[in-house]
Amino acid sequence: MEDKIKVTIDYLKKKKVDYADIRLQKKLAESIKVKNKNVESISRNEDQGFGIRVINSGSWGFASSSVTTEAEMKRVANKAIQIAKASAITKKENVVLAEQESFVDKYQSFYQLDPFTVPLDRKIELLLNSTQILSKSKKIKVAEGYMGFYKTDKVFASTEGAYITQAILESGAGIFATAVDDGEVQRRSYPGSHTGDFATRGYEFIQEMRFLENAERTREEAIQLLSADPCPDTTTTLIITGPQMALQIHESCGHPTELDRVLGTEISLAGGSFLTLDKLSKLRYGSDKVSITADATVPGGLGTFGYDDEGVKAQRSFLVKDGLFVGYLTSRETAPVLKQKSNGTMRADGWNRIPLIRMTNINLEPGEWELNDLIADTQEGILVDMNKSWSIDDKRLNFQFGTEIAWEIKNGKVGKVYKNPVYTGITPEFWNSCDAVCNRKHWRVWGVPNCGKGEPMQIMHVAHGASPTRFRNIKVGVSK
Amino acid sequence: MIGKDKILSTLKTAIKKSTADQTEAIFIGGENGLTRYANSTIHQNVSENNSKIYFRTILGKKIGVAITNSLKREDLKRALDNAMEIAKNQRENPDFVSLPSKQSYKKIKTHFKKTASFTPIQRAEKVKEIFEKAKKHDLDVAGSFSTAESEIAVVNSLGVACYQPLTSSFINIVVMSGNSSGYSEFLTRDVTTVDVEKLAEVAIGKCLESKNPKGVEPGEYDVILEPAALANLIEWLNYIGFGSKPLQEKTSFMADRIGKKIMGDSISIYDDGNDESAMGFPFDFEGVPKKKVTIIQSGVAKGVVYDSLSATKDKVKSTGHALTPDFSEGAIALNLFVKAGNSSIKKMIEKTKRGLLITRFHYINGYLDTRNALFTGMTRDGTFFIENGKIKHGIKNLRFTESMLKAFSNVVELSRDRKVINSWWEDVGCIVCPAVLIKKFKFTGKTEF
Repeated sequence: MEDKIKVTIDYLKKKKVDYADIRLQKKLAESIKVKNKNVESISRNEDQGFGIRVINSGSWGFASSSVTTEAEMKRVANKAIQIAKASAITKKENVVLAEQESFVDKYQSFYQLDPFTVPLDRKIELLLNSTQILSKSKKIKVAEGYMGFYKTDKVFASTEGAYITQAILESGAGIFATAVDDGEVQRRSYPGSHTGDFATRGYEFIQEMRFLENAERTREEAIQLLSADPCPDTTTTLIITGPQMALQIHESCGHPTELDRVLGTEISLAGGSFLTLDKLSKLRYGSDKVSITADATVPGGLGTFGYDDEGVKAQRSFLVKDGLFVGYLTSRETAPVLKQKSNGTMRADGWNRIPLIRMTNINLEPGEWELNDLIADTQEGILVDMNKSWSIDDKRLNFQFGTEIAWEIKNGKVGKVYKNPVYTGITPEFWNSCDAVCNRKHWRVWGVPNCGKGEPMQIMHVAHGASPTRFRNIKVGVSK
Repeated sequence: MIGKDKILSTLKTAIKKSTADQTEAIFIGGENGLTRYANSTIHQNVSENNSKIYFRTILGKKIGVAITNSLKREDLKRALDNAMEIAKNQRENPDFVSLPSKQSYKKIKTHFKKTASFTPIQRAEKVKEIFEKAKKHDLDVAGSFSTAESEIAVVNSLGVACYQPLTSSFINIVVMSGNSSGYSEFLTRDVTTVDVEKLAEVAIGKCLESKNPKGVEPGEYDVILEPAALANLIEWLNYIGFGSKPLQEKTSFMADRIGKKIMGDSISIYDDGNDESAMGFPFDFEGVPKKKVTIIQSGVAKGVVYDSLSATKDKVKSTGHALTPDFSEGAIALNLFVKAGNSSIKKMIEKTKRGLLITRFHYINGYLDTRNALFTGMTRDGTFFIENGKIKHGIKNLRFTESMLKAFSNVVELSRDRKVINSWWEDVGCIVCPAVLIKKFKFTGKTEF
């Protein structure tokens, strides 16, 4: 394959394009879904192909194909050039890329146990045994377990001389109990909602989740929610646990700091951003307790890699430092707007998609609090856990999140359970109300395997490091 | 295009090698292109040539699924072997009876040569027309314009062998001033019906009319939802409630309510995959012919759509709404229609004393309380204040949090005209919606623009 790639790069050079890269990718995926003591589905997916991105006549063109013959690569290269010529019809300025060292390197994500070598039966058994515990009450109408594994091999080569191979293994899983009674539906998830938690790790990540030890609590909390009081409508102190903080960071910091979005190129689908260029190094995004990094080097993070899909080395940079908005997620095309080099966040969800600026591991850096001390320090408030619903406006200002469960906090102690908690706010007001972040002992990286962006839609795997965090004067509920 | 004969013979040859009791092979493939623009320039222009082949193998009641995107003989064999290995390791699925047997299908036109041959340069030239129109008003344009040609085929060892070529084209236009925006979209199988001039005029008009928006306080308002806004709500209702699975698991607003009134008299919703006017497609991904299904009739919950597995559970027949076998969320209604009324947006505005006109919604989420269809979301790209029967001015966007059962019980008028609105299933699905006038729709938050 290396020969075909080199031949194609040489061909593109001969065509005198301004720039070109080729990305060849092979992905093996396996998913297992167990529901109510049955294995609902198991599927294995092999996907391979290549995409060629060119700048010709100062404009972008991209073409891709699942047929990886030399002749097809040449056809697709010509098609990409033709498409670039079409793009040039409306060109205002030539595309200019930030300078970039052309790496020749290999990257392999770290893992201990390859999930594709673990017998299918063993994986099924773990999910069935876990959901059996979830199903022990008749009130649990849906007991589910999910596992997903991805093995990606990709090669990136450019006309500038880069040649990078990467092998990335990802694993994830979760269990979910849905309780139904008298027209009420309540759900608890472990360790994360939607499809669980994911990491660039092997099967050891699944083993560490300890489903069998956590299934009973998950079931009982779902049942408890059926008879819980609704979360009151109030303005109060809110403590948000790690998995919900992950979504909060994702929607209100990760997306608005994507520089392509800021420059308008996501308008047609997901919108723009309130973090316009004039706010850089000026806007007090949050309180001085808030420091947020983009870090593609965190061991095991779902947004961890060696190089992005433009061949830029993975790195760590600040987006928010001590509350001040200081940086964007950038690409080679957008970074020159800031007179910077790319900080390496361009990724595509497959060979057939063009890379876009995507979150890596976007982390709220840990603070100093012990969780027990934080709760003890809270006279009155609400503790919320695990995402249930999410919505934010098209500039990432007005958000509303629903969580699976809430608990009353009174006089420094966790009290009764509330159902259907919803909280809402305006992004900078919200982050400026943050007065405490728990320490590294309570901090971990949560994988989010379903981040949507772009047209055609691309689903990216990203992650967020977070620990329980406290916010003051937050609007909870939507009735008032 | 690979062509009917080659695809069907490749799939038939592949499943002949299967040692399973029953085997199914699905082909989905084609070439598509998308031109994306922002700041009145093309910033992304892409093309994809891809095929996916799905194998579903059955051993007794055990099901294995494997997928490949390579048509090479050895890759097809490996995928089939993978499906067999999975089936062997599977547990029995008590709901499985059989793959479908040989079927006959309605003939509908889904392929248009001019869409198939539409080039990136043609897309760019159309897009340029929009930019030039907007420039006259000093406005910027963002959006995307796609054209696609695909082939879908399903073959199984019980004699199903169906094939259908299809084309599609979708354009969306967001026109922006410094403080306002306007939107229009068009979905079709025939690219020659895309009238960019007319679509640009709509988006430009909305953008100009909503300039310098004023803030209004959240609260209850009478709202006129244009077809795109209504379709945004229907899409989520479909996702959480029009399929068989949420009904069987009792998690949806339809559960325990079949035969009961859950919406207003004027609301009738049905799915019809054989309607050529609305991205129809004659069979599902099991090769079962599409049946027309009434979901809501005059406000009464009538039924949901089924695939083979979920149909067995309820002792009914599949309605032809299976998705590909790797999709485990069950049957989905792909070609939804909301029955028209006899009003118009103009008449609705004239009848509204104090209310809002909404072009579309953004980032709806319907997971808040699925039994009551409690949704939240934001308005976007053209939201207007109406007073004493006239549009007064644009307003800054609002967040709604509302039960759709309540909202759809408060619909007082529907327009005669309906539009085909894009859905998550662009090539094989859409939502056909009128505009509606809803009384007392609840807004719970506001934003700064």
